[in-house]
Amino acid sequence: MNSVFLIIAVLIPLLGGAALFLAKDLEYKRLQVICEILTVLTSILVWTLVFHRPEEEILLFQLTGNLRIILKLDGLGCIFAGLVAFLWPLANLYAFEYMSHDEKRRHVFFGFYIMTYGVTLGIAFAGNILTLYFFYELLTLVTVYLVMHPMHKKAIRASRMYLYYSLGGAAFAFLSIICLTIFGDTTNFVLGGVLDMEKVSAHPNWVLTMFLLAFCGFGVKAALFPFHGWLPRASVAPTPVTALLHAVAVVKSGAFAIIRIIYYSYGADFLRGTWAQYVVMAMAMLTILYASTMAVKEIHLKRRLAYSTISNLSYILLGATMMTPLGMIGAVSHLVMHAFMKICGFFCVGAVMHQTDRNYLAEIEGLGRKMPVIFGCFTIAGISLAGIPPMAGFISKWNIGTAALMSENPLGYAAMGVLLYSAFMTAIYMGVIILKAWFPRKTCTNTFSEKDRDPNWKMKLPILVFACMLICLGLFSRPLVNVIKAIAYGNL
Amino acid sequence: MTYEILNICGQGFYFKLDGFRLIYCCIALFMWSVSLLFSKEYFAHYSHKARYYGFLILTMFATLGVFLSADFMTMFIFFEIMSLSSYVWVAQEETEAALKAGVTYLAIAVIGGMVMLMGLFLMQSAVGTLRMDELYTAVQSVWDEKSAQIYAAGFLMLFGFGAKAGMFPLHFWLPKAHPVAPAPASALLSGILTKCGVFGILVLTAEVFVHNFIWGSVILALGVLGMVAGAVLAVFSVNLKRTLACSSVSQIGFILIGVGMQCFLGGENALAVRGTFLHMVNHSLIKLLLFNCAGVVYMNLHALELNDVRGFGRKKPFLMGCFLMGALGIGGMPLWNGYVSKTLLHESIVEYIAVLAETGGNVWLFKSIEWIFLISGGLTVAYMLKLFICLFIEEHPTKQAEYDAMTSYMSPLSRIVIGCAAVVLPLMGFFPGGTMDKMADAVMGFMRSGSMEHSVYYFTWTNLKGGLISICIGILVYVFVVRKVFVRNGKYVDLWPKWLDIEAAFTRIIFAFLKVLGAGSRVVDGFLTQWCTVEGMLKALEAVSRGADGLSERAVAYLKGTVYRETTEKSVNSFVQSLHEHYDKKVDNMRLVGSSLSFGLLLACIGLILTIVYLLMH
Repeated sequence: MNSVFLIIAVLIPLLGGAALFLAKDLEYKRLQVICEILTVLTSILVWTLVFHRPEEEILLFQLTGNLRIILKLDGLGCIFAGLVAFLWPLANLYAFEYMSHDEKRRHVFFGFYIMTYGVTLGIAFAGNILTLYFFYELLTLVTVYLVMHPMHKKAIRASRMYLYYSLGGAAFAFLSIICLTIFGDTTNFVLGGVLDMEKVSAHPNWVLTMFLLAFCGFGVKAALFPFHGWLPRASVAPTPVTALLHAVAVVKSGAFAIIRIIYYSYGADFLRGTWAQYVVMAMAMLTILYASTMAVKEIHLKRRLAYSTISNLSYILLGATMMTPLGMIGAVSHLVMHAFMKICGFFCVGAVMHQTDRNYLAEIEGLGRKMPVIFGCFTIAGISLAGIPPMAGFISKWNIGTAALMSENPLGYAAMGVLLYSAFMTAIYMGVIILKAWFPRKTCTNTFSEKDRDPNWKMKLPILVFACMLICLGLFSRPLVNVIKAIAYGNL
Repeated sequence: MTYEILNICGQGFYFKLDGFRLIYCCIALFMWSVSLLFSKEYFAHYSHKARYYGFLILTMFATLGVFLSADFMTMFIFFEIMSLSSYVWVAQEETEAALKAGVTYLAIAVIGGMVMLMGLFLMQSAVGTLRMDELYTAVQSVWDEKSAQIYAAGFLMLFGFGAKAGMFPLHFWLPKAHPVAPAPASALLSGILTKCGVFGILVLTAEVFVHNFIWGSVILALGVLGMVAGAVLAVFSVNLKRTLACSSVSQIGFILIGVGMQCFLGGENALAVRGTFLHMVNHSLIKLLLFNCAGVVYMNLHALELNDVRGFGRKKPFLMGCFLMGALGIGGMPLWNGYVSKTLLHESIVEYIAVLAETGGNVWLFKSIEWIFLISGGLTVAYMLKLFICLFIEEHPTKQAEYDAMTSYMSPLSRIVIGCAAVVLPLMGFFPGGTMDKMADAVMGFMRSGSMEHSVYYFTWTNLKGGLISICIGILVYVFVVRKVFVRNGKYVDLWPKWLDIEAAFTRIIFAFLKVLGAGSRVVDGFLTQWCTVEGMLKALEAVSRGADGLSERAVAYLKGTVYRETTEKSVNSFVQSLHEHYDKKVDNMRLVGSSLSFGLLLACIGLILTIVYLLMH
């Protein structure tokens, strides 16, 4: 296909979403239809692009000199774009139902929600580091409102914090981009890296420091410890935002950017075995340990899942920091699998909040029988998160674990220990919710009313689809893993 | 016969059917049909029946998957499904005790599974394959350079399999989970799910650690400890199903001793292989019968404590007959099936002692193991006697007439299935040559063992002697220990010290560890939320600027002390204040000066002078 369609795919949601700001008096039903048409249209276009990939790049605009904003779709971009294109229309359905009680500024909310789609696609399609950076900053700006939407004190504080963290992080990344323009042949993404080794050999440590800065900078969105503080707080946002943005689009953009800079800008071969690799691996492992422990201690359901997200994002980073093709396979496969697991988990918790106003662990005891579909799907998501076969989570954990052992890196064995510990903790923090819901104690005092039942189809459909995907991806992961393998070895 | 499903669950599934797998699948199906049919009556008055039956069937498929798998990966996947779905059995009754036991069960299942997965990772990276039929050659080829990694992988996997098998010291879930689970389910938990773990250990022994001395001694040691611990626990127990559960721990110990002896005996390990396998089969069948008999008791009385159920079996010849078959089988009475397998295990120890004596090795260790083996067999007899006499001979002090009146205590269907399960045991024991030897012949290939040099005659004096010693020890223990110590004022008393609860110790350690980690995380989190937010940064900035402020103030003070000596004021609070006063005074003076006439004249003069200088220059 012509690569102009890349621009169209980004612009449809971006402009469509912006147009929604004007539709103040639009009926809610019409708003829903327009939103759904916009997202489905974009998704169809994206999936067509994924299967008929345009080979050439397209210039969006030129800033100055060789600083160009270009779009190009490569294999890794296909995976990320395909993933968001699959999730967004379904998440939209869920959001319609979730926001049905919340009548103020709904058009603004959906406007930003859909604009975010376009920006996320921009990140997936970014052809060089500068474009990535451009859309990355834009992502922060369009999503701030979504966190702030409830407009109470907590939400405003959380959104301010999110803004400071993200912009601050991007500033670090900016320094690294300058370094790449100086030391690299080009700023485009090329598997294996673009550094000019002759230039680098004079200041290797300087370049490594810059890489570390970029890692930390993009790591802010990937909720890397100690820059993770915004994520649990941002769970005050409406659940469609927490689920789609804070478990997939925004945080995965951070992880995606890190995979880009490791494998496509600095180059895994240059980084492997350097002190910078040990530092970033240690950071990822520390995050996993910290977040999975905190998740066990947290009793607010959404925050518990948010901590779980932090820990799982660092699984992706851990895979990426192995700096081997196997590591990249592990990272990308976890990027995909975790998206389904966590969005399913968040949607279930959100459905419970929406139907019953229950937010805390103790309140859901015995709720399983009242909401069998929701908790059935949550059980699948939980089992999958713990990495228990035959669910999807097992596949990606297996890939990461294999990469860790095959990396011949002394920290690889430590990584195994970390994965083991985190698997226990995951089993505990997800297992407790599942067991409490299905097997209440005889002494449990929770009372249930008429409204404690499964939600309507708009909420159930996405959740059921995601739960089915978890099982299908677990059982039939070969095609996906083969594609990722081809990408990691540069064949796609 | 092998069967492969590609493209599923990442690595594909790989199944195989050989003698061992065929026999165990048949046993599994037999056990499930007995339990299912008995469940009909047992669950007549229960709620959540659909859930129970659903998970019963799911676990059956998973268990068959475990026994058919020919690849550790395939096995692991079915193993996990089996572990998790059988949780529902334990928690089925939803009482406080059942939920607690369920958590223990699940914890063991999950931890065991994860540790096993680590083992699989290591094995895969060291050897490069997880297929059971490729492992042997693959391990042999890399053994010299990677033995440490293979040992680590093996012991991690042993942890996982042992946790499911009820191997010491991971056995504590059995005595907790079995009493609370419904009886048909505990029969399966004890009879067949534990065997999945043993199956894994057997594969490791046959394919990875072939005739390996270290592996053998670890398993032997754990087996001996489990055998003794289980038997002692069972003698102490005062609960019908708990006794049977502890007995399972002990019998698994017997089986593991067989596994250990396989490693020690090397190429001529046929005796140990046959003993191990036959004891597995016997234990499965016996526990199926005994737990279902216990189920009959519970179904009628809703009690399992020995003091409550005593005398229930009087005047119920069918139940007594069935229970007796199981008791005789597990006690190792000649002519019943347990005798055959125990004799084989015993003979394998004796054979190794003979080998040691020939080569001049030290025999006292194995001599003592032989005696521990015989004494544990004796304890088995003792606790089965305790159960049997309590149930069928003693009278209940108050409710005996009520118990005697329960004549329709079992439906005909239950009678038929439990009767079937009971008849099998003496049938196998009376004709070992036609039944058990045939089974054992079928598994020799699976265990990489040669055929027997000569067939064993089970009913010769030397072989009978071991069994009879055990039985005598058992009767003595029952008469002199159980009756004297554990029965006080006509009641069975629980004398097991509470502090000897292994699980409590484990959880204490784990919780202490978690607390430390949690506290650490919280401290870090508190630190971060305090200082890494914008407010925190502002605070830090403020602190820094305040510090700088103080510093500059001191500098000014120093300057003031040296330069502005003329100050006469002594009592000044702050030097900045005094500086201000100076400045104000100066400004005031300047204003006065600026507004005076003389200043105007002065400026005019300066202007004139500048004009003159300019004119002169040109």
